[in-house]
Amino acid sequence: MSERVILCIGTKKGLFVAEAPKTRRGFALRGPFGPGVAVYAALIDTRGTPRLYASSCNAFFGMKVLRSTDLGKKFKETKSAPTFPKEDGRALINIWSLEAGDDKKDLWCGVEPASLFRSSDGGDSWEMVSGISNHAHARRWQPGNGGLCLHTILRDGERVHVGISTGGHYLSEDGGASFTASNKGIGAGFVPDPFPEFGQCVHKIARHEDAPGRLYIQNHGGWPERPNIGVVRSDDYGRTWRSISKGLPSDFGFPIVVHPHNPDTVYVMPLEASTRTCPAGAPAVWRSEDAGGSWKRLARGLPKKESFFTVQRDAMDIDELKSPALYFGTTTGQLWIGRDGGEEWNCLFDSLPPIHCVKVAVV
Amino acid sequence: MTRSTTITIHVPAALRACCEGASELSLSAPSVRDALVQLERRHPSLYRSICDETGTVRRHVNLFVNTSNVRDRDGLDTALVPGDVVTILPAVSGG
Repeated sequence: MSERVILCIGTKKGLFVAEAPKTRRGFALRGPFGPGVAVYAALIDTRGTPRLYASSCNAFFGMKVLRSTDLGKKFKETKSAPTFPKEDGRALINIWSLEAGDDKKDLWCGVEPASLFRSSDGGDSWEMVSGISNHAHARRWQPGNGGLCLHTILRDGERVHVGISTGGHYLSEDGGASFTASNKGIGAGFVPDPFPEFGQCVHKIARHEDAPGRLYIQNHGGWPERPNIGVVRSDDYGRTWRSISKGLPSDFGFPIVVHPHNPDTVYVMPLEASTRTCPAGAPAVWRSEDAGGSWKRLARGLPKKESFFTVQRDAMDIDELKSPALYFGTTTGQLWIGRDGGEEWNCLFDSLPPIHCVKVAVV
Repeated sequence: MTRSTTITIHVPAALRACCEGASELSLSAPSVRDALVQLERRHPSLYRSICDETGTVRRHVNLFVNTSNVRDRDGLDTALVPGDVVTILPAVSGG
């Protein structure tokens, strides 16, 4: 079968799957899947036979993990969702990230309250990763507006990066057995110390798999008294960070995405800090091709005015085709595609429920 | 000595997959808490849909004994008598 582009779109009312040939013409939409509840995390696992996973945030009956083995034609609940040990005292509130592990059925899952879980059987059973979930800082992390969430998991051999809002960036160099707060150079605008050891409101972390030493963070910027702390870069595997915010219209935003073929090319979606919406009502993705040294506005095809949506932390992704396309979903239910690396934008779907996450893969 | 009491649990449609499709379950329990303990043992998936890991009834789930919400009685310690019907219902909430 020829390659297809698969999109998983997590919304307030369930998961949608869109599929198109490699030309990306004629995306067909199916769904919603799940019991009509919010989906904040999705994973298109392309190892072996592709599997699609999605969290299902059921406010009535608790969290579930959905799994599809037929590219999203139907989904079933896995046998269990991550569960805190009974004696722990914490209860699962939401599932914020799902990532593939080493073995084919190995999965990692970031949850709220900020903790990390692993599954070795494709999501049927889960074990808490104590090194970060019971970190000495864990009971001192504070929830941001979205809740106290572990939203980013990036792995590179024995190195594991996690992003916590609000907790900051934590780094493991022993496969997740232990973690260290690694926030040198990452600022905070909401505590007296502008550069605390931990507690930053990191919104999203991104990197290119072939350049694991270079990482980017969209941090919680937008602080007039502490400018340019919103977008930062590390060139030493996340040990130290420096600002790359200069040239952006706002250093506040949620998602950050790296080009699939060039670790120096990175995309952000600046938002006005006080409203979390597009500056001046004119949405734009901004691209840097020199690792944050300079930025270019990409808005051809996007509305020029009167658009006040938010793009949430996991609601932007990029495919891996030769000339990649960006995708972002909005809180007003629009799904946009930016062909040629974001040079030309079109709205694929304009009336979905509010979108929480967008994942894309070529399978 | 603990008194045993046969009661009926009404399971909402959304949760019947957690108990092999049953719409009603019968068990002997002197209190709502004890009924939940038995549910946890017999139908763990159903129990987890009603209570979180700490044993707290989920915020948007209501438990009724006959027509009374247990929150208006003695909570999970609400006593049960033979013939009581415990109904599990999702709350009216959402948007």
